Amino acid sequence: MRWISSRQRIQRPRQSCALTVSRWIVLLTLILLTGSTGVAPAASSLEVAATTSKSHVTLRFVSWKPDHPRVWDDALAQFTAAHPHITVVRELAPHSSTAYHDLLTQKLKNGDTTVDVFFMDVIWVPEFAAARWARPLEDRFLPALQQAFLPATLEVGRYDKHLYGVPSRIDAGLLYYRKDLLTKYGFLPPTTWDALVRQAETILAGERTASPILQGYVAQFKQYEGLVCNMLEMIEAHGGSLLTADATRSTLSAEPALHAVQFVRDRLIGRITPRAALTYQEPESLTLFLQGHAIFHRNWPYAWELANNHARSTVAGQIGVAPLPGFAGGRNAAALGGWLYGISAGSQHPQEAWALIEFLSSETMQKRFAQEAGIAPSRTALFSDPDLLATSPQLLNHLAVLQTATPRPRSPIYPALSHLLQRYFGRALAVDGVDLQQEAAIADAHIDRLLALTRSRP
Amino acid sequence: MTRHQRLTPYRESLAAWSMVAPALLVTVTFALYPVVDSLWLSLHRIVIGLPQLGNSFVGPDNYLALLRDPVARQALLVTLGFVLCSTLLELACGLVIALVIHERFHGRGLVRAAILIPWAIPTVVASQLWRYIFNDQYGFANLLLFGNQVTDYIPWLSYPSLAFGIVVLADVWKTSSFAALLILAGLQLIPDDLYDAARVDGAGAWQRFRHITLPLLKPALLLALLFRTMDAFRVFDLVFVMTQGGPGDATQVLQFYGYQTLFTEGRIGYGSAVSVAVFLMILALSLIYLRAIGSSLLEQRRT
Repeated sequence: MRWISSRQRIQRPRQSCALTVSRWIVLLTLILLTGSTGVAPAASSLEVAATTSKSHVTLRFVSWKPDHPRVWDDALAQFTAAHPHITVVRELAPHSSTAYHDLLTQKLKNGDTTVDVFFMDVIWVPEFAAARWARPLEDRFLPALQQAFLPATLEVGRYDKHLYGVPSRIDAGLLYYRKDLLTKYGFLPPTTWDALVRQAETILAGERTASPILQGYVAQFKQYEGLVCNMLEMIEAHGGSLLTADATRSTLSAEPALHAVQFVRDRLIGRITPRAALTYQEPESLTLFLQGHAIFHRNWPYAWELANNHARSTVAGQIGVAPLPGFAGGRNAAALGGWLYGISAGSQHPQEAWALIEFLSSETMQKRFAQEAGIAPSRTALFSDPDLLATSPQLLNHLAVLQTATPRPRSPIYPALSHLLQRYFGRALAVDGVDLQQEAAIADAHIDRLLALTRSRP
Repeated sequence: MTRHQRLTPYRESLAAWSMVAPALLVTVTFALYPVVDSLWLSLHRIVIGLPQLGNSFVGPDNYLALLRDPVARQALLVTLGFVLCSTLLELACGLVIALVIHERFHGRGLVRAAILIPWAIPTVVASQLWRYIFNDQYGFANLLLFGNQVTDYIPWLSYPSLAFGIVVLADVWKTSSFAALLILAGLQLIPDDLYDAARVDGAGAWQRFRHITLPLLKPALLLALLFRTMDAFRVFDLVFVMTQGGPGDATQVLQFYGYQTLFTEGRIGYGSAVSVAVFLMILALSLIYLRAIGSSLLEQRRT
């Protein structure tokens, strides 16, 4: 691609320039340090430095800001202890998937060599594969190793018959609830949305004097990727879908999808869900739940550990977790999410990069991540691990939900598709008096035009 | 002798070029090349995720699509609204600030320095600050208005028009002092004799302001208007940090839309067309302004 190659032409001389500058700095420092003993020893120690730096590999690991930084630091320290010739430099990007995507794709697009290993959201696999940014992994990710992972978690890393990612965590939306409050009012965890709304209204009415700021249901409704997940779950639960089965047309103005949006707009937002949820991503909505200000909360499996962490949660020990509700006549639905480890196609150290991925996705490490950071494992064996199930009962729900979870549309231009969806849902929920039918029709037309682009071949 | 004379102009121009060359080189690589490259890219259909499309040359297709794009139209409206509201407010606030710090009073130097602080804070930091101030749970705005009445707390940024207003407010807070600086420079050019003469003629404070200050400030005001309009047109970081274009596209400005299409969606051709369109609009605007400023300066010289 002409555009990429022109960027590379600019990039390269700058790096070699930086290299010479750093060599000069090393040289100058050495000369200064050994100034009294003369030039000869300085030159020889420079040679030593040069030879050690050749066999030494610096791996660049780009990831978002983790919820449990200490666990990750420990894991990487353990890896470097086992592989003394590899240094792992981590570049932390914002927590938001969209912001992280922008940063990572900038690097990959420019053929930047400062990325070796990266986290890849499940929705990016087609894009990264089509753009040839991610390296196909079959040469190292051998079938024997693949068998240890849940098939559903492997499938999300596949595009055009190649595997591009090793599952780090594969998530599905779950419903968290306040066990204590539900028991107090004699409720069982709701299985339909109507029941959830009724239960929330009853509890809110009863608790109004005791805790006036208690909210019924908090989830993620800000105009960003999480909104698409939340709305996808609602639409699927209503028996609808975002696209037709062959993924060629948008079906937002079909009845089930319209009903689902109307339900969120009229029965949740501003009623049992605070209007502020229109500005919430995962952290904000979780905080509200952890402070005990919400009865029901939708989040990914990682929230279990935080909600039961006494240092961070005021409701630890009072939390229950269940599959997300469905609708009478519809079905239960959870959006499939999660993250994979990928290797940059431009990495100079694919061998060491693979070593890091193998280490981080090993059974031992996955168990640790699950226990200490609440990250749902992707290895089948861990779902029957007694230690793990004792501390993390949400994993059983997760396994069941994972089998039927709904992936978001798998397309190399998913980011563009997602923006159109975010805009439609954002306007539908936030703008008063908006004509839903009309907005949905506009979004449909837009998405259809975009999907046509993927089919056109010159 | 003659040979020497013939050589001198050549040598002189050589010396001149060699001195200009570094600056010229920097300008061409960092200013001209990206602009021309964007222009060139905007005439192609390039989608990062779809390499099978190739980089076909499509001529003005992207621009025609832009004209029909309802999101772009919404973004244009939001941008124009933002430019109008923020520049007018900034000029008004800037004028008031300039008049105050132009007066002689005790501690004027300190006040002048303090007023520049918002302008010195990086926009990203300021945006974060305003986002926290208008947070629904622990924001200062809610605390100030409602104290401990947490049930009354308002989720400011979840209402389209409020979110827009807050973005404008953040911009006004941040850049009024810059406008004030330009206007202050204009104020200092007005000779004191004029005021003394007016006072002798019995003109009141308002009349002095209306008939001396305002007309003579016109070039400074226009200059401030030019700078602020251009900057407001390019607003990006405020929206990026505070609202991400939401809620319901109420703060979706053109620059952010261009960023999204270019970097998030990977539609290189279309995104470049959006950026070039913004560039052309700013260019047209500044040409209009420069003509206005130029003619106003000429008028002044004639009188």
